[in-house]
Amino acid sequence: MSKSEHSEVQSPVADCLANGRLIVCSGPGGVGKTTTAAALGLRGALMGRKVIVLTIDPAKRLANSLGLDQLTNTPQLIALDAHRDQLPDPGEGELWAMMLDQEQTFADLVRRHAPDSGALERAEDNNIYKLLSTALHGMQEYMALEKLHDLYTGGYFDLVVLDTPPTKNALDFLETPKRASRFFDERIVKWFLPDKSTRKGFIGRVINPGAIVQGLLAKIFGESFIGDLIEFFDTFQYLFEVLKERGDMIEFILRDPQTYFLIICSADPRRIREALFFHEKLQTLNQTAQAFIINRVTPRFDLDDLDPLDPGEFDALLGAHGFDDPARATALREQLQTHYRALAERARKDRAAIAELAKKVSAERLQAIPLLGEDVHTLGALLKLSQWLSPATPSA
Amino acid sequence: MIEELEKTRLIFVTGKGGVGKSTVVATLARALAARGRRTLVLETDAFSAMPDLLGLPTLKSATGAQAAGEHLWAENLEADECFVRTLSRFVPSKRIARAVVSNKVARVFFKAAPSVNEFVILDQIIEEVDRKQADKYVYDHIVVDLPASGHALTFLGVPQTLKGMIKVGPIAKRAQRIAEEIRNPAKTAIVAVCVPEEMPVNETIELAGNVQDALGRGLSAAVVNMVHEMPVSPDLEDELVALLEQLRNNGTLDLDAIHQKDAPALKKLLAGSALALGWHERDAHYLGLLRARISAAIQTLPLIYDVDSARIVGVLARSIAEPTPA
Repeated sequence: MSKSEHSEVQSPVADCLANGRLIVCSGPGGVGKTTTAAALGLRGALMGRKVIVLTIDPAKRLANSLGLDQLTNTPQLIALDAHRDQLPDPGEGELWAMMLDQEQTFADLVRRHAPDSGALERAEDNNIYKLLSTALHGMQEYMALEKLHDLYTGGYFDLVVLDTPPTKNALDFLETPKRASRFFDERIVKWFLPDKSTRKGFIGRVINPGAIVQGLLAKIFGESFIGDLIEFFDTFQYLFEVLKERGDMIEFILRDPQTYFLIICSADPRRIREALFFHEKLQTLNQTAQAFIINRVTPRFDLDDLDPLDPGEFDALLGAHGFDDPARATALREQLQTHYRALAERARKDRAAIAELAKKVSAERLQAIPLLGEDVHTLGALLKLSQWLSPATPSA
Repeated sequence: MIEELEKTRLIFVTGKGGVGKSTVVATLARALAARGRRTLVLETDAFSAMPDLLGLPTLKSATGAQAAGEHLWAENLEADECFVRTLSRFVPSKRIARAVVSNKVARVFFKAAPSVNEFVILDQIIEEVDRKQADKYVYDHIVVDLPASGHALTFLGVPQTLKGMIKVGPIAKRAQRIAEEIRNPAKTAIVAVCVPEEMPVNETIELAGNVQDALGRGLSAAVVNMVHEMPVSPDLEDELVALLEQLRNNGTLDLDAIHQKDAPALKKLLAGSALALGWHERDAHYLGLLRARISAAIQTLPLIYDVDSARIVGVLARSIAEPTPA
């Protein structure tokens, strides 16, 4: 694992770490995305930057590996100084971490923007709000946006590393305000809502198609449910402006040249396909992925690695360590060789999958990270991972 | 495990992204089909994985269930399509139903409303469970690939919540029926899939508790996927462990040899074997943690190195379709 084997050219990941204000880690689940986000955050902090890692999915292990009991809905500072045995001096750098608590963020948002305490009470009394507000489609993404907005514009952090949920609509929150606020489109919601500020006359109201559909749906779902739903949307009207504003803000953040997108996956063909889905999604937003990080790649076993193996040498080694039975020694050697060949085959398939990907997205943007021997559980291990992501330059 | 699953007609499979949940769904379905049980696989509007896993062209909701081999069918329940089908049953006049469901605004409104999407998908699932032809159930088993997220319980808990909010009327009745079906372990199995790693195992342990709390019944089974097998046969296991231990202690073993192009063949062989043994032992450790903390039956599936998903499913299905000796 000598550093001299790595390219001298600054890697795409190094570019993000040096210049990024926002790094969005996207990609399918189960590929080490959260760990990668944490490794990037740590590296940024060690470069002297003030970094916050925002995770969306509960990541208990991440909390532990960062030396925290748990991640909370507010940023917590990680005591890098307390780990000087594993880490270099961070200097001015700071690493903070937090986990999005959707419900808490929504409750905070409601409380902060309610026009009056009456509105707040009505909101908190509504059945639908109580039971299901966090089940609203896109709510997790909207709340992520809310948190991102706070952290990005707060003025304290130089760099936000955003870990996205492993769902295919994880990048929906990045879409233009028009598309993203389809749900909160006042035009649609007003269609159903009681016409408070009526400009239409009596005639307009009678033939309001919305009322007819509403009546029908009430027959199916019951008056009280429809009533609750309508009141829910009515009550949260004031949020529409806020969320639309967030949508506008995200447009602004997107267009910023210091926003970088990373797509993280593994060499499994299904995961690569999912990664390409995110790649296409970014393209529809006129963005490109700065890099594809392919995690847990099988180390470089090659089929001809064992060609020069001298069976005699192996048997002698076994003999020297207490293996007296030659038949068992032979069996052991042969089974290990067979297994090694299977590993070599797997390594070959991983490389082939990566080569296929390289054809589609250009090789310079691919970064393969080998399957590390141990789990990434400590700050030291995160540092090691970050060095694979972005090799340290000789002078650093 | 397969014999236990054969006792329930509805099987929900849940798990976080990346654990191979869809592969397990396809595997269970193929295994049941191989044992002569007429089985329907239902996807729920996710990254449609069944075409690859079952060797099919794309699954489109509108075309209905597609045959995927003997005794096996597959369908992708897209939320929009489910909304149309469900609503059409509850609105008295077909003409009005069409008018309402084809109304874009109504559709957007309800798509956004919490729980409605989940309800209509569950409604369609129960329709398939109940489907009969000539007084016989069309399918012996329905295996459902739940959305890959931590919210399996939000999904499965919807009928209960909805029933609480709507209280009366045809939808409330239907929600009640669906809730009862899900809460009955004799009728519905809930299978959790994970891999032998710390986070997925912890999440499965948590899920088992949450299922009990939210649905008043336990997890039916856990499937631990992608388990690294020993690089040697069981009778040589102890010797390999002892050998590598010694080599590690006296410095002969060099784990970095794998990354070095010119390392001697013997070193590479030893390093590779040590790595593989390490993976196996680590997996065994997490498997042990899971066994200690949940009461549900645990089935392990080995990691198979192959790029052909359908072939992997075939191999795995064959291994679980034959009941293993106790």
